[in-house]
Amino acid sequence: MRTALFLLLAAMIPGQALAANQVALDNNVFVERVTTDAQGKQKILLEEPKVVVPGDRLVFVLSYRNAGAQPADKFVITNPMPSAVQFADAGDTRPLVSVDGGKQWGLLSDLSIPMNDGARRAAQPADVTHVRWAFAKPIPVGGAGKLMFRGVVK
Amino acid sequence: MTSKLTYMGVIGLTALSSVAATPAFAAGTTAGTTITNTATVDYQVGGVAQAQQQAANNFVVDRKINLLVEEVGTVTTNVVPGQTNAVTTFQLTNTSNETLDFALVASQITGGTAAHGGTDAFNVNNIRIYRDNTVTGTVGSWDAGDTLITAYVDELVVDTAIRLFVVADIPTTLAVPAVVNGAVAGVTLRATAREGGLAGTQGAAITETTGANTAGKDTVFADIAGVAGDVARDGSHSDNDDYTVQTATLAVTKSSRVISDPFNNTTNPKLIPGAVVEYCIAVANTGGAAATSVLITDPVPGQLTFSAGTILLGGTVTGGVCDFNGTAGGSYAAPNVSGTIASIAAGAASTLVFRATVN
Repeated sequence: MRTALFLLLAAMIPGQALAANQVALDNNVFVERVTTDAQGKQKILLEEPKVVVPGDRLVFVLSYRNAGAQPADKFVITNPMPSAVQFADAGDTRPLVSVDGGKQWGLLSDLSIPMNDGARRAAQPADVTHVRWAFAKPIPVGGAGKLMFRGVVK
Repeated sequence: MTSKLTYMGVIGLTALSSVAATPAFAAGTTAGTTITNTATVDYQVGGVAQAQQQAANNFVVDRKINLLVEEVGTVTTNVVPGQTNAVTTFQLTNTSNETLDFALVASQITGGTAAHGGTDAFNVNNIRIYRDNTVTGTVGSWDAGDTLITAYVDELVVDTAIRLFVVADIPTTLAVPAVVNGAVAGVTLRATAREGGLAGTQGAAITETTGANTAGKDTVFADIAGVAGDVARDGSHSDNDDYTVQTATLAVTKSSRVISDPFNNTTNPKLIPGAVVEYCIAVANTGGAAATSVLITDPVPGQLTFSAGTILLGGTVTGGVCDFNGTAGGSYAAPNVSGTIASIAAGAASTLVFRATVN
């Protein structure tokens, strides 16, 4: 619905503000493999998701870039969790998350889940249904960055 | 101090992330499932909302072959020599992310330490595998309604555990090597994953995808090592169980005492003609199982005359010494005194006592 509305708006408003593909977004996934060498040191490798089995840890990397000629404002990246992937963490990117299918948003530590008896419990990473990053400042022309979050194949 | 606190914080985070690194997904997402992750960007330029941008990626969940064979109960099965249909219990769990067939083989350990201690000393006969019927009969225990498995378990769905029985006959005491009290026979149940998908037919052997991986559904063995010789990641798993013979081992001892003679009566009696002698036949069971219907027969020597009505059965032994007690019973058919003791428990002893007169 939201998508449709934006597309509709975009279609209705002609002019310079509507530059096609002003923002480039790239979405990559890697499998995180931890290997321990002979000295007992742990090494983390990110591999292409060729061999993926339940329990594997995934790293999703979202790369964005403002390829347009004007700053991009109210910049929001939304990523619903695939149903077969359980959210684990988002490193230090501090995203807003939703644990109710995208209705309410907040930091994971601020959200709670209603239980059968009417009480609420603190939301856990496994409860996350959507991840969202909302940028307070406009992305300048040519500005780029990466966001990441981890998940586990259910 | 600050650096120490920071250090603690880092350790705390590491511990948390390592906990998160091993979540418990038993079988998980079905093999072949495509996982698509889509991210969208909403933004404005000059205060005007722009077309939403999307970026997606796909990958296919590969096939993880994992299974668990576990002995149920962690106790040995006590058997007696000659017992038929002695049962050991196992559980097979399909923790793969696909429905599979499982080839089953029950084999015997030859020598070595059995699952519950002791050294494997003999082999059982007529070894069979049954699958528990969870609808009728005694669910969880072997009974006639369970299904005899000839080669494999058909189409075991994801995350399902089934109970299997390895059933065998125990050789008699005449067998070589001897089936003595405490002798152990170890058995192994090994399951090997086979391709599923076709009910009623054992699927083909499964091989792990080696070399270059494909973008499609690959196969990864994830099983742990089983018994000796069953390594990790070979598509099969196994466990041991064992039978321990519990039989009665009887030892007979005979003792006597002089009760009276015609001159001293019961005061310091001597073994002269006319003296009354009391005999005690003690049977001790040093085995691991009760002995039942123990028949004791003792011929009275020709120099003695049996005193009718003096037979006592089921008396006790204290410190290896007969107590010369019991309840009346038994019978006499010249020259034999005999009596049957219903049961002598493992580690217990019982007696037959009678009196006779010196001729």
